[in-house]
Amino acid sequence: MANPAYNEAVVKKFVIASVFWAIVAFLVGVYLAAELAWPQFNLGLSFLNFGRLRPVHTSAGIFAFGGSALIGTSFYVVQRTCRARLFGGEALANFVFWGYQFFIVMAALSYVMGFSKSQEYAEPAWHIDVWLTIVWVAYAVIFVGTLMKREEPHIYVANWFYLAFILTIAVLHVGNNLVIPISVYSANGYSVASGVQNAMIQWWYGHNAVGFFLTAGFLGMMYYFIPKAANRPIYSYRLSVVHFWSLIFLYIWAGPHHLHWTALPDWTQTLGMAFSVMLWMPSWGGMINGLMTLSGAWDKLRTDPGLRFSVTAVGFYGMSTFEGPVMSIRDVNALAHYTDWVIGHVHSGTLGWVAFISFGALYYLVPVLWQRAGLYSTRLASWHYWIATLGIVFYISSMWVAGIMQGLMWRAYDAFGFLQYSFAESVVAVHPYYVIRLIGGLMFLSGGLIMVYNLIQTVRSPVTEQPFAPPAALAVAGE
Amino acid sequence: MDIEPSDLIVGLLMAGLGLIGLILASGAMDNEMYVFGFSLFGFACVFEFGLLRRHFDRLEANRHG
Repeated sequence: MANPAYNEAVVKKFVIASVFWAIVAFLVGVYLAAELAWPQFNLGLSFLNFGRLRPVHTSAGIFAFGGSALIGTSFYVVQRTCRARLFGGEALANFVFWGYQFFIVMAALSYVMGFSKSQEYAEPAWHIDVWLTIVWVAYAVIFVGTLMKREEPHIYVANWFYLAFILTIAVLHVGNNLVIPISVYSANGYSVASGVQNAMIQWWYGHNAVGFFLTAGFLGMMYYFIPKAANRPIYSYRLSVVHFWSLIFLYIWAGPHHLHWTALPDWTQTLGMAFSVMLWMPSWGGMINGLMTLSGAWDKLRTDPGLRFSVTAVGFYGMSTFEGPVMSIRDVNALAHYTDWVIGHVHSGTLGWVAFISFGALYYLVPVLWQRAGLYSTRLASWHYWIATLGIVFYISSMWVAGIMQGLMWRAYDAFGFLQYSFAESVVAVHPYYVIRLIGGLMFLSGGLIMVYNLIQTVRSPVTEQPFAPPAALAVAGE
Repeated sequence: MDIEPSDLIVGLLMAGLGLIGLILASGAMDNEMYVFGFSLFGFACVFEFGLLRRHFDRLEANRHG
């Protein structure tokens, strides 16, 4: 029996979409890893080229899998913590769900057809950007409207993070995608900014896509689902508020670290670097808050694989938010930039933090939404956990070695001052590590398929939970 | 007929967007805009059918409930 007080139908749809897009993203990622190791895999077909499939992989991972998980969980969390049904009725919620899926499909289709703005994570052509803006405004209306009609006096901290994600992504998306089309009937157009200004705006967007899409939104997930799964209140609510404001203030300035050693003014590069290093503090404050929430409940990690995913995610969050500031230091960046170290860093964040915190939320949500007593198999979830964790280790360690080796080979000089290695030699040198990366990706994909089977079987299992009864009193996480 | 305000607003919005899709497809200068325009029109039609279905499902449920 569905919970009559809340709109859970749209949350279920987002959960299903998130699981589906996760597999698509991992599958395309594995295929691309195979192409990088053995380029013959593009089969001479234009739509299978790395350049066209790469944005399919990143968009499927970030916007389709991550975005569906974020919107779905935000709808779930805001209703539960505000004790209010979603604002705007069923039709508006459905518009956001189907409109967002339409955006994903249209964007992916345009990439394989060869259309792109050539701006990382902002590849869709202008008309697809306009469509996403319409959907995003509807999403913001629902979320803010639900907050405004809440029956709880307090706005729980997870909602602050979700709100920051919604509002900042709106500003970033519009700011970075200002394009003058050559015609309203053409997908092509010119960015309003050019040269280094365009680069600066792009990385103001790009880094804050990481900061507000892949961090703030998923921190909202962390602040709800870890306390719920552990059945413990947040370790420090005050720390969560400090975490929120310091993270929000600092993140927005960090973008220029993507443009070290370029035509960007020196002071701007230094500003980006300084704010990136300062970001270490709120990031680790949040990590400590997430981990310490487990105080007195660490034993649950043995029995609840979903919680194990969430807590490991927080560990990866701590690791990648330490690595990021280190890589943003100009002299470290001189070695790391343009190498596969960056790819390893990104994947420790996206696989270890984003995907794992989402898996934790999915393993929690599916039995709750479909009114089941628990998962079909905690053993399968454990297998998923270990295979995926090992896959990440293969992935990021191979990319560290490959990246640092590339950086060192590119800067090596011989006794006469000539470059010691040609670029092609560095490509040959990293080949074994590309194969190891492929194995890591395959393991992560296998874990994902195990999760799909487990969740499908959970949904197919008989209803065992008692019919819904409205909460009698305030419990964990503001409910 | 008792129409929910959100159904009406979203229905009108989708009708307008579907029309824009058709206009974009009609004058498209490249494949991308042609595919997008027609897809938007198709999406709007299917969404409108969904709104209608849910409206009458609700009416029927109220009659029998």
